[in-house]
Order: sequence, then C-alpha cells, then structure tokens
Amino acid sequence: MSEKYEIRLNIYALTWRLPIIFWQLIFFVGPVLFMVAMSFFLVKNYRMNEAFEFVNWSRMMTRGFFWDSYWYTLGIATLSTFCAMCVAFPAAFALAFRAAESTRRWAIFLLIIPFFTSYLVRTFSWFVILSESGVVNAVLGYVGLGPFKMLNTDFGTLVGYMTLTLPLVVILQTVTMANIDKSLIEAARNLGCSPLRTIWQVIIPLSKTGLIIAAIFCFILSFGDFVAPFYLGGSQEPTLPILILDTTKSGQQWPRAAVVAIMMMVTLFVIAFTGIALAYRKGKGSK
Amino acid sequence: MSKPLVIFDKVQKHFGSFVAVKGLDFEIHQGEFLAIMGPSGCGKTTTLRMLAGLEEPSVGEIRLNGRVMNDVAPHERDTPLVWQSLALFPFLTARENVEFGLKMRGVSKAERKQRAIKWLDKMGILEFENRHISTLSGGQRQRVALARSLVMEPQILLLDEPLSALDAHLVIRMQAVLTDLQRELGITFVYVTHSQSEAFAMADRVIIMGKGEIGQIGTPKEIYRAPANRFVAEFVGRNNILAGKVKSVDGRAAEITTPSGIFTVPTNEVQLLEGHSASFVISADLMHIATEEPLGTNKVFCKLISEEFVGSMVTLFLEDAQGHEFKVQMQERELSKFDLHSGDEIWLSWDVQSAHVLNES
Amino acid sequence: MKQSQTLNFILGIYVVMIFAFVFAPIIFSMVFSFNSQRFPTIPLGEFSTEWYEKVLADPDIWKAARNSLIVSFSTALIATFLGFCTAYSDFRYNFRFKGPYLALILLPPTIPLIIMALAMLAWLSKIGMSGQLYSIIIAHSVLTAPFAMAVIRLRLNQMDPDLESAAWNLGGSEWKTMRYVIVPFCKPAIFSSLFLTAAVSFDEFAVSWFVSGLNSTLPVVVLEIVQGNIDPQVNAIGTFVFLTSMTLVVLAQLFFASRQIKGMQS
Repeated sequence: MSEKYEIRLNIYALTWRLPIIFWQLIFFVGPVLFMVAMSFFLVKNYRMNEAFEFVNWSRMMTRGFFWDSYWYTLGIATLSTFCAMCVAFPAAFALAFRAAESTRRWAIFLLIIPFFTSYLVRTFSWFVILSESGVVNAVLGYVGLGPFKMLNTDFGTLVGYMTLTLPLVVILQTVTMANIDKSLIEAARNLGCSPLRTIWQVIIPLSKTGLIIAAIFCFILSFGDFVAPFYLGGSQEPTLPILILDTTKSGQQWPRAAVVAIMMMVTLFVIAFTGIALAYRKGKGSK
Repeated sequence: MSKPLVIFDKVQKHFGSFVAVKGLDFEIHQGEFLAIMGPSGCGKTTTLRMLAGLEEPSVGEIRLNGRVMNDVAPHERDTPLVWQSLALFPFLTARENVEFGLKMRGVSKAERKQRAIKWLDKMGILEFENRHISTLSGGQRQRVALARSLVMEPQILLLDEPLSALDAHLVIRMQAVLTDLQRELGITFVYVTHSQSEAFAMADRVIIMGKGEIGQIGTPKEIYRAPANRFVAEFVGRNNILAGKVKSVDGRAAEITTPSGIFTVPTNEVQLLEGHSASFVISADLMHIATEEPLGTNKVFCKLISEEFVGSMVTLFLEDAQGHEFKVQMQERELSKFDLHSGDEIWLSWDVQSAHVLNES
Repeated sequence: MKQSQTLNFILGIYVVMIFAFVFAPIIFSMVFSFNSQRFPTIPLGEFSTEWYEKVLADPDIWKAARNSLIVSFSTALIATFLGFCTAYSDFRYNFRFKGPYLALILLPPTIPLIIMALAMLAWLSKIGMSGQLYSIIIAHSVLTAPFAMAVIRLRLNQMDPDLESAAWNLGGSEWKTMRYVIVPFCKPAIFSSLFLTAAVSFDEFAVSWFVSGLNSTLPVVVLEIVQGNIDPQVNAIGTFVFLTSMTLVVLAQLFFASRQIKGMQS
C-alpha cells in the first residue's frame, strides 16, 4: 500500500502529535520517575528532603513486616486470581457455547454496568451483608446455622476482590471462548472426545491467550487494590497497597511508600511479562 | 487530439528500495480518453496518484499545462479522482457529497446547491438528493461519485478502476455512460483499469504497463493487432505467440523456424537477423480452420481440446503435435458448419500479413 | 450437537448465580437506601427517604457533587482531546519511536491506582499543583486518555482509508479536511469518549483522595463516611452516582444509535 501523502513534518502533523507527548511527559513520566527518585529521599522532622540515600531501601528490605506483607499480598492476589478464573469459567463457558448471540450480548452489557457503579459503595454493601448481624447471617440463622465470621478474614478480602474482578474476568473469558473456531470443537467431539476432555484438551488450549490475559488483568487489579483488604479483610495482615496507604496518609513517609510502590511495580512487570510471553508462545499442540 | 495537457518526463517512483515506477515518459492529450492498463502491481495506480499529487515522483517531472507539478499539494491541483472504493462521505447526503469540492473552493452556498443539483440531474439521480449515501445502491453511489468530481468542471478527470465493484450488467451500462459523458464534455479522462475489455471498449488511447514500465502506448486497435513486445502480446490475450529462430530474411518477409513448423512473417519495422531468435503473434480471430490441408506455408495440424462460448463468439483451444496451444476465435454460426468435437483434428492456417513480429527488447 | 438438557439447566442457574453475586451489592444498596433501619439487615424496616433527605440537606455533599461534576466534565474534555490527537497521529502517520509514543498514552491503566495516587501526589506537590480541583483533573485525564484514544482509534479503523485523500483531492487542505471530514466522521466516537471518560472520572476515588486535599469529590466523601461508622447515607449517595453514570452511558448509546439510523455508519 503506498504511503500516505506526507513527506515533510509540518505544523499540522505536529499539532496532533505533540500534545500527548508534552502532557504525558509532565504528568505521567514525571510522577513515576519522581516516585523512583523519591525512594532515595530522607524524611527529617516530618519534612522530606531530596537526597540520594539507600536508607529507605535497606530499612524496608530488612524489615520483617515488609516481606510478610509482600508474600501475603502475592499469595492472596494469586488466590484471588485462581478463584475468579475458576468461578467465572462455567459462566463464561455457558455464555460462549450455550447461549444465543443476543443473550450473550445482553449478558456482556449487563456485566459492564458494575464498572459504572461505585466500587466503594459495593464494598460497603458487602460489609453490611457479611457482618455478623447482616443479611447472610440472618438468613443462615433462620435455618439454624451460624453466625459465621466472614468479615476481617481472608474470605472477606476474597469476596471484595471478586466484586472488583469478576465482571471483567467473565467478559474476557466469554469473548475469548466465543471467538474460537467452533469447527475444531465439533471435530474433537466427532472423534469421540468426551465433553470434559474436550474442554481440557481443546477449548482451553485454544483460548490460552485470552485466558492468560484475563488472569493477568485479574492479578493486577487484586494486587493493587486496597479497598477489599482494608474494609472487608480488616484485621488481617496488611497488603502492600495498605502499606502504601498507611505510610503516606498517616506516616507522611512518602519515600518508604515509594519503595513499596516500586517493589509492587517490578513484581507486576515481571508477572505480566512472563504471562504475556506464555500467552503468545507457540506452544506444542495448540493448532 | 491537440497539444499535450500533461507530460510525464522520466518519472520514477521509489518506495524505499522498491521501485514501483521505473521510468515513465508519455503525454496526455487534451480531450482524449486515455486508459492505463496492466496487471496488479504494475504501477498504474501509483502513476495516477502521482498525477493527483498523492505521491511525489522520486525522479523526473510531471507537467500540467506546462507547469511543473511535483511540489504542488493535492488540494491545490485541479485533478479530481473517482476512487475505486468511491470514498463518498458517509455522514453527508448525496447532494452534500457533490457540493463538497465546491465548498472547499469557497463557492457560495446558493451556487453550490445549484451546481450540485444540475449535475445530480444530469447523472439521473436528482431524486436521491437528500438521501444519505448508505441508502443508495452501488450504481447510484457510482453516479454520486462521478457527479462529485464533474461538478468541479475540471480539465482532467482521473478514474481509478471505478467500475470494479459493480455487477456485470451495470458495468456495461456505466461504460456507455462514461464514454458518452467524455465525448460530450470534452474533458480529458485518465482511466486506470486491469480489465482489457474496459480499456479497449472506452479509450481513444491505451497505455499498457507492466512492472513499473510502459509496454506500449497506442490505440486499442494498434495494440491488439501489433503488440510491441511479448509482455503486451501476452497480456492483451486471445492471440497466438510463436517463437523460434530466423531461417532467412528476404526483403519484407522472413522465415522463422519454430517447433511447430516453419512460417513466413512480414518483417515490418523490426530488424530480423538470420540465426537470431524471434517471436511473432497472430490474433485468434485471424486464424482459419479447415478440414483439408490448406495451401500456403502458415498452417498447423491441431487437435481440438476445448471450446469457450461468450455470447455469439466462441474461442477454440487447440494443441499441435508438439503440445503448443493455439487459440481461434470465430462466430458460433461459422463454427457450427464444421460439427467439431473434442479430440477431432483440423488444420489451422493464417495469412502471412496476419502475423506480427514482436520487438524482443 | 446434542446438548444435555440438565447440564444446560445447571449452567443456566450458575450464570444467574454469578449475576446475583455481581448485582447483589448494587441492588442491596439501592433497596436499603430506602430502608429506615440504621443497620441494613432483614427483617426490613420501614420504607423511608430519610437518608436521601439527609444527603440532600448536607452542604458538604452538594459541594462534593459539584466538584465531581466539574472534574468529570473537564477530564472528559481534556482526555478526549488528547485521545483524539493521539488516535489521529497513530492512524495517519508512521514515524520512528511510534512504539514508545503509543506506550506513553497506553501505559497508565497498567499501573495500580494506589501507586499512581502516590506518584501524582508527590509530583504535583513538588511542582506546586497539588490540593486543587485541577490536580484531580490532571490526574484523571492521564488515567482516562487511553480509553478515549482506544475508542476514537477504533472508529478511525472503520473509515475508508481513501476518505481523507478524497477530501484533499477535492480541494480540501489538511486543516479543512480535519474540520469537515475527520471530525464529523469521528463524532459518535468523540461523544462516546466524552461520556466514558466522564463516567470513569466520576467514580474514581483513590487518586482523587490523595491529590484533592480539601476539595473532595463525591467518591472521596463516600470514602470518608465509610471510614467512620455504618452510615446508610452512603447508599443514597451510591444510588445517585449509579443513576448519573448510567444516564451518561445511556445517552452515549442513544447518540451512537441515532447516528446509525441517520446512515452515518459507513
């Protein structure tokens, strides 16, 4: 295809190309780079001084509470991802392979609605629903069960994470599976593959890329959320986001918060990178 | 045909290391219907785009009315183009589409409307004036695209395979519309196509392009009867090409030895030297068939392989003992006199003057 | 392919349960916003609008709502403008460093909000632009510009690649072509983008909380209430926010659909 009419860079081209460069350099790259630099600053008498010291890093890296929090966050985010992907799968399967196209479109449209509600208010609702005198325990009480402690537990945190991630995961899984080549599934069934084996041996490998992407998004969201563990997980181990929150809001220790933030970003980068490499690798047996 | 309107002077176009157009030297005459024809990738669309200013020549000059146009921006030229995809503005009505060019040139609202209506009427689609183009049929959209360019009353109109998206029956009709229009308005048309039938049906002159170069420029008849070289001969089709070595040259005629036999050809302007290779072409419709061996040197005994019918014309595909394919084109009623079936053997012959020697270079 | 009826039934129930989980907190919130009880549980109390009255009577909440509207409106304009510029540049031009160029606008959503909140707070404080409404506007425009860019870029994909050239060919300069061809063609996407970015900005609380200082937006007010005791006012606010966002989304869809009816889709 021949090149479009444009050989020299002119005012017209620059007018459209430059704004985002300036804006993002000042208001995106700047903040991120400054945050990295800030991890080397010092705080004396509640005032932050620009410096280049490693004390924040050494302090954080040697403190037990940081690593406890790190592994806990990694663990619970992984658990959240696992749960969300498993819980979503049967629903996504149903929508992709059993539902009519219009039903599927309506379902996806409905699942977009939560994005426009306040996540905070939804979390607040769960807080009330799951509390010891809340709806769930009241209902269970009628049948003689409970009351169960669901708040201030990992369970509560997971419910919160699911509220955040489930709609997105269902949508991504549904769209991925709805777009795979149906004839391959029919071929497998034709060759005598049982439904369960078909899912495991055919559908999942074919959807590999989309499923991994969904898992990555789910992990990033869970890993970075502070609302669910804070309000529903309560007295549990603080997660890294909560660490940032505490250090910033109450402690004014921005440099230390920056260290935590950088560790989070590096972790997410590594996981996302590995995930994407796995997702797009031409593995054996996929087609 | 009078003085040249457009001159392409040693024009080349490079895209990085790829040379799309190797060297164009030709003129476009005022008031003529010129077709540029060739297979995909031959550079014909690039040539048109250079004329419209959408590509800049890497080497050489393009002159319009004597003025060098290389640095002139597309919107400053007066070379409206009818696009292959039509490129109509989907958010405008038919009339608004037609008015667009006038609006860009600063014509007043009232005058725009009046001129647009005149041309919509002329193209027979005035009733669709206020319809959005997505509601129009392919043929109607085609007419809007034409009106949009013609309303500018340009000196030269460029057309890039405008009929390629139409149904077959519409194509014939639109061909007639275009030729009538061109004759009536006297505008120079430059028409790019890959279809030989389109180009030969409509154009005064045809440029055949291949791999970025000009194969031949001439009237349809000239090209058909006297292809300049092998590429043109093969591309134009429905002819027979024979190749071999020159046996002897005797003034205006020569004998050429081919695997299928020794044949006599007129030399025309081509220099034939004894012992050198040469090829010649005979149009399929100049071949004769006979059940008995004809007189003369130019004859071949062949077996009928298949027949192809298009309307009242039929093309016969035959093979000689050496496996060389021959094509004969004749009227169906002529053929029916022979009662031929696949596998039958007949004689092919042609007059000496029917052959045309190809320029090997 | 013969499908088991019972299996389909079970799957159907499962899907309904998933939707129940997703919508339970939303419906719960709306139902209990009209409930007289201070602590929402069953058995239900009486129907009451006292929480709405309380919310509507609170001047801080009105101020926060006003701030939210200003912020989301401004964010929508800036983000859509930035998104349009970038989408068009990506569509029209090929240039070196295009990869990093696109990464610049598309990276923000990959960074957790809490980290963006910290980074924004620190940087804006350093350059003396923190604690104001425009601080939130700046941060939100960075966060939502990728969505604007994606929406408009997708629309440009639908454009006949020759359309721009056709306009030039008919005498339109690049600027005129932008004004009379590109922008009109992108109108549905531009409006979608405005509504989408406004809706995202309207609900955003983490970054707003950090950089807003004393100029709270509505989500920040909710955050502060929720940090205290159980207060059903939150349900009333939540319902308002939900209705506002949904109205924006419905308007965006209607706009899109009406253009389709007028034959705007190419």
